[in-house]
Amino acid sequence: MELREFLAEDAIQLDLKGESKDEILKELIGLLGVDDKSQGILFKMLKRRENLGSTGIGKGIAIPHCRSLVVNRLRLAFGRKNGGVEYKAIDDQTVNYFFLIVAPPLEVSNQYLPVLGRIAQFAKEPDVAERLAALENPREFLALLEEKGV
Amino acid sequence: MNQNLETLLEIQDLKSQRRELAEAGEREMQEQVFGLGVDEALAKLDEKIAEMEESLPPPVKSRYRRVSTRLPRFLVPVINGTCYGCFVAVPTAQASDSERNAEIRSCENCGRFLYHVD
Repeated sequence: MELREFLAEDAIQLDLKGESKDEILKELIGLLGVDDKSQGILFKMLKRRENLGSTGIGKGIAIPHCRSLVVNRLRLAFGRKNGGVEYKAIDDQTVNYFFLIVAPPLEVSNQYLPVLGRIAQFAKEPDVAERLAALENPREFLALLEEKGV
Repeated sequence: MNQNLETLLEIQDLKSQRRELAEAGEREMQEQVFGLGVDEALAKLDEKIAEMEESLPPPVKSRYRRVSTRLPRFLVPVINGTCYGCFVAVPTAQASDSERNAEIRSCENCGRFLYHVD
């Protein structure tokens, strides 16, 4: 299993416009191409998860995630916000890089946890933040995932 | 989309989240990667679920209680015309109706509430 299996090029946005956590979450959900009603439900579920504790894991990286019936397969999106936004991350720093994961409650192959684990592993690599900052297009992001073997 | 169906869907999503968070693998991941206090999070989810259940109008709440007591997955998606609770086809007229989430419908075979996913 590789992360890029779940990530289309049009679900990668290297110039997010949002200026707040909520705006960024909405923008990321918009990358998934689901209908407006489903976007609203996903936003509520992601907010509920964030209200339990921030998904900002430090080093400028966040992994907002939820399960919901409104999607019928695991979906990923990636976004970069130049300058970062306040996200109540674990290290109190602003967040620039966002990996969104949404999945249905019951998947046949149950990939949700392994995908979450792979992203967390990727985010811990010492050069990742620097490499993400230097990306010029979505293809470079996919190539980075491939290079890191995630 | 029917407002009560949306509430039922959110309750089902929250219950799924709660169930998974309580499992060993997810608990460990949430604690180690996100520093989440899982027991506290579970208590908050229980509180939210109870609040949403109370917000349902009495006839819907009574129907919900009846179905969810028997079937923990009380609301399931319909994908390609099939109920994903019992895997029996739903009637064609219902599956193809463009306003299919505008009212609360149940599977004629298993009784679960249905949410149509495109």
